Parts: sequence; structure tokens; C-alpha cells
Amino acid sequence: MSHHVAITAIGSDRPGIVAAVTGVLWELGCNLEDTSMSILRGHFSMMLMVAVPPGVSAADVEAAMEPAAAASDLVVVVRPIDDDVPVSTVGEAWTVSVYGADQPGIVHRVARLLADAGVNVVDLVTRVIGEPEQPVYAMFLDVTVPPGVDGIEASLEALAGEMGVSCSASPADAEIL
Amino acid sequence: MTIRGVVRLPEPVLTRAAAAVSEVGQAERDLATDLLDTMRASPACVGLAAPQIGVSLRAFVVDVTGHRKARSCHGAFVLFNPEIVSASEPSLAREGCMSVPDLTGDVARASRLVVRGLAPTGEEKVLSVDAFEARAVLHEIDHLDGLLFLDRVTAHDRVFPRKVYR
Repeated sequence: MSHHVAITAIGSDRPGIVAAVTGVLWELGCNLEDTSMSILRGHFSMMLMVAVPPGVSAADVEAAMEPAAAASDLVVVVRPIDDDVPVSTVGEAWTVSVYGADQPGIVHRVARLLADAGVNVVDLVTRVIGEPEQPVYAMFLDVTVPPGVDGIEASLEALAGEMGVSCSASPADAEIL
Repeated sequence: MTIRGVVRLPEPVLTRAAAAVSEVGQAERDLATDLLDTMRASPACVGLAAPQIGVSLRAFVVDVTGHRKARSCHGAFVLFNPEIVSASEPSLAREGCMSVPDLTGDVARASRLVVRGLAPTGEEKVLSVDAFEARAVLHEIDHLDGLLFLDRVTAHDRVFPRKVYR
């Protein structure tokens, strides 16, 4: 039976990184499942959940990556993961955006508020934009609000007010057509 | 009445263009009834296109009655060989599809629309629809062209860096 590994690979962005990393996996007989790959501050950052054939260990995958990693100047880490897929919190899907003058603690304070309310973060993207002397921080979250949790919008707005940033939250339920 | 099974990706009928009906006869009226019955069998379903029940013909049903995002509402209606006469005022909203379980995506679609097509009676209808009803009609017409919301999705992330990082 195949098993799963989690792979992270990060390096300066350039054409060919995805082709190089996935080429190694293809040759090993691995299958890419859920992945997230993006440029973060000029660095191409990959997170891959990969099904690996029997007899190939996480260490084998990491070793096989070495030539490609060296050629593309990538930091690659491969770790085994549990094959059982954990069940996420159920609830209503919301999107939250927070943006304003960059300052330490924006992500933590928003995340703390959500965690204390039992709200689960399912996707989070942050970007630093604007001029270097006046950076603006932008944070976008997809969250799951469990049944019975009310007033998240108001508490987020109060927190945003304390930090002097803007915040909006709205239900993101998809319409099934 | 027949409630038909709703086919799911990767069923090939979902990704090829459907054929126009040459006339609206008994077979087409039966198809219209099946589309209505199958849509009504799924409580949250507000629209269904013939390819979704495995029939590669240009027909769909929409019913946004009572939907909180609806403004115009023509009740339940079936159109054959629908054509978009005009479309304007794009807006972005998150969609899912009975034929694509597990995924949703943000899709920009016109929120004002004039659509024409043949009713099950065979007469031509011209409908002005807006807001959620317009979105539903466009989603169903896409099915007739072999397109899923996955072909229209703007992006997983809603924001991208626009210039090179310093």
C-alpha cells in the first residue's frame, strides 16, 4: 500500500522549479495530491501532500530530491504523515479580510480571537504591500464558524479598531447551482 | 415523473458541447419534466442542465424562488436552445456545482442578462433576469457549452502581487 509524505521546498523564484521537483517525484512513482505553491516575498514556496509507493521512505524521497534541490538552490524537507485524514470542524464558511498599517501582532491577535471563539482557520494568505517606508499589511482568511458562535464580526471589528486597521467579515457560503 | 441521477466529474458529457434540439416535441417535454423533478429532488438545487443528467442536449431548468440572493424571479422555467441576448454588470460570487463535489470557487458573471430560448410549449421566450437568477442561468448555459465553474474560477487566492518585490 502506498503511504503519504509531506514535502516542503523553498527557493528563489525562477522558471523550472515545479518541473524539477515534480519530475523527481514522477520518476519515483509518487502521486501528487493536495498541494499549495506560491511566491512568497520572491521565494517560490511549495507544500505537497504526496502518495509514495510501498518500499520508498520519506528519507528516500528526500535523498532523491538532492540533485534537483542543489541545481535549483532549494531547501527541501520530506516528512512522513499519518494516512488518516483528520476531520475538520463543521460550521458556516466565512471570509475575513484585515488590512492596514503594518505592525507586529496583527496575525496573532486575529488568530487568538478566532481560536478563543472556537473558529477554525482553513486558509490564510498575508501580503505586505505598499511603499517600503509605509508598508501595508493585508490578511485574508477563510474560516469555519461552528454552530452557536455569534458576534464574530463585531469582535473582529473591535479588535481591528484597537489596532487601527480595517476588517470585514462575511459569510462565504457557496451557492450550489 | 423521473428523478434522474446527477452525473459528476469526470463524466465526459460534462465537458463537451451539447447539441441543439431541432424541435420541442414530446421527448423534449419529457426531458423538461425530468430536469424539474431532478432539480426538486435536491433541496438546495436552483438549476440543472441536461448534460448533468447525462443528456447532451441544450436544455436547462432554473428556479430561484425564495432564494435570499434573488431579485428577479421567474419561478421554475425550462429553456431549450438558450441564447444570451445581452449581458452586463459583472459581479463576483462563490459557486459550487452538483456535478463537482467538494470544490467551490469565486466566479465573475454578468448580473444583468437578457436570455432567449424555447419553452417546453415550443414558443420563444425572452427573459430579463438579474442578480442570482442571472448567475444561475449563466452557470447552466455554461454546462451546455461543456464548461464548468472550474473553467471560470478567477483564482484560489483573491489577491496577487501586482509588481515585483523590492
